[in-house]
Amino acid sequence: MKRLIYAEIFKLAKQSKTYYALASILIIEVIILLSAYFEGTNIINLLLENLRKSFYFQGSLLNGNLLQYLVLNTLWFHLPLIIMIVVSGTLTTEYKDKTVQAVMLQPVKKWQWILSKYIVAILFTLLVVVALYATSYWLCKGLFGEGDLVVYLDGLNFFPAKEAAYRIRWAFIAGSLSMLFFAVSSLTLAVWLKDVTKTWIVCSLFLIVCNLLLKIDLGSAWLNQYSFVKLNDTWQYFFQFTIPYRTILINWWILVGYIIFMAAAGIYVFHKRDIG
Amino acid sequence: MMRAYFICWLVSCSLALSAQGVDEDLLRMKKRLDSVVYFQANLQLETDISFVHMPVKRAIMKFEKGKPVQFSSSDFVLLPKRGLDFSLRSLFEYPVVTLVRNSSLKNGYTIKELNVIPSDKRADFTIATLWLNTSLRRVESAEISTSKDGTYVLQMHYLQAQDIFPDRVEVNFEIERIRIPLNFMGKGTQIDKEKLKAEGSKTGKIFMMLSNYQIRYTGR
Repeated sequence: MKRLIYAEIFKLAKQSKTYYALASILIIEVIILLSAYFEGTNIINLLLENLRKSFYFQGSLLNGNLLQYLVLNTLWFHLPLIIMIVVSGTLTTEYKDKTVQAVMLQPVKKWQWILSKYIVAILFTLLVVVALYATSYWLCKGLFGEGDLVVYLDGLNFFPAKEAAYRIRWAFIAGSLSMLFFAVSSLTLAVWLKDVTKTWIVCSLFLIVCNLLLKIDLGSAWLNQYSFVKLNDTWQYFFQFTIPYRTILINWWILVGYIIFMAAAGIYVFHKRDIG
Repeated sequence: MMRAYFICWLVSCSLALSAQGVDEDLLRMKKRLDSVVYFQANLQLETDISFVHMPVKRAIMKFEKGKPVQFSSSDFVLLPKRGLDFSLRSLFEYPVVTLVRNSSLKNGYTIKELNVIPSDKRADFTIATLWLNTSLRRVESAEISTSKDGTYVLQMHYLQAQDIFPDRVEVNFEIERIRIPLNFMGKGTQIDKEKLKAEGSKTGKIFMMLSNYQIRYTGR
């Protein structure tokens, strides 16, 4: 099993699209920083226009924490899309190049081989989130410095710099679970669809539908609270003025359940299906 | 005939108003405040606005006569535009007239209620009501109406009888409901348009605690 995992890591490290994905994340970050540099003050002024009538502001809100929060918002769409493309590609390219058949001629158990892909997908996703956190931390704090964070979530919430850094760190950790869900789902979709283009289209559709359904009332209290589409905003709970730790923990456990279910479904289908 | 009486009444009223001048007690209080050339204090701010959640903030407040009040803080601080002018400089920037409305006793002190009306259009307030402690020569509370920033109510609390500046100030003010463009909304944020329309402008409160005053007076 270890060797299979190493082999998958080797393949992932050797393919150019992995580096394209990492580079694209960095490019998104740079674009966010540049737009904040040129437009950030105007955006904050617009955001706080009403308060400006009654208050003077002492200190700047355009700082590293706000910028890192903006980078964090890539967890809605940009980051899961990139992760889904790379992760699903690890299997669909094997179907396309017919290397799946070659591997299956070896004394390798089907379920172990696909499980190793899921494990590497999880490791890759965690690596991407850590890389996003680390690069955004150094770039945002290095260029814009420390400062209080303002977030609009059921009102204007202001957090002191230290508390903001704590909340951002935990939001990245919570966000990584959502990213894992999308990564595992994309690999399961790849198991079902096999074709590269079809998988990418369905993965994008899946992500878009998840984002749309997040805003829509699903008509049932249970579905509104515990369906997987409603759990992907758990990282944002860290920016409520009082952090609802209990709700976050419940959401995490349920999301872990969904991740295991999606991976188990993919492994089961792959194991039962003929390679061809 | 009625018209002539009305004109006479109008003329006599305007003459009475112009002759009103400025209340003696208010002038005594102003003289006392004017004797301060410099002060510095530690400021602690707490906001109570329904749509703003902000932890307690701290800053250092410095005042030098003839200069705007200055603040320094390592945090981001929201400072109320009204309520920090303890010297009531903005009220006396241009000529005013005063009208005494009432006098009452509170804790053994005479509290005089009077209106301050600017007689110059450049003044940034339209009318102010002050509650003066005539014995201690200081303001207990004030209600200042402005054309641009709505009405502000200040409640001042003093630690000792001889204190010139308050140790606790409560500022009540009007604030328009917040209008955030949709792209700044968090994804989980629910928008109730009907509720927003119905709410209109809101009131907010800010509590200021002042400590460690360092005050310099004229000639000292």
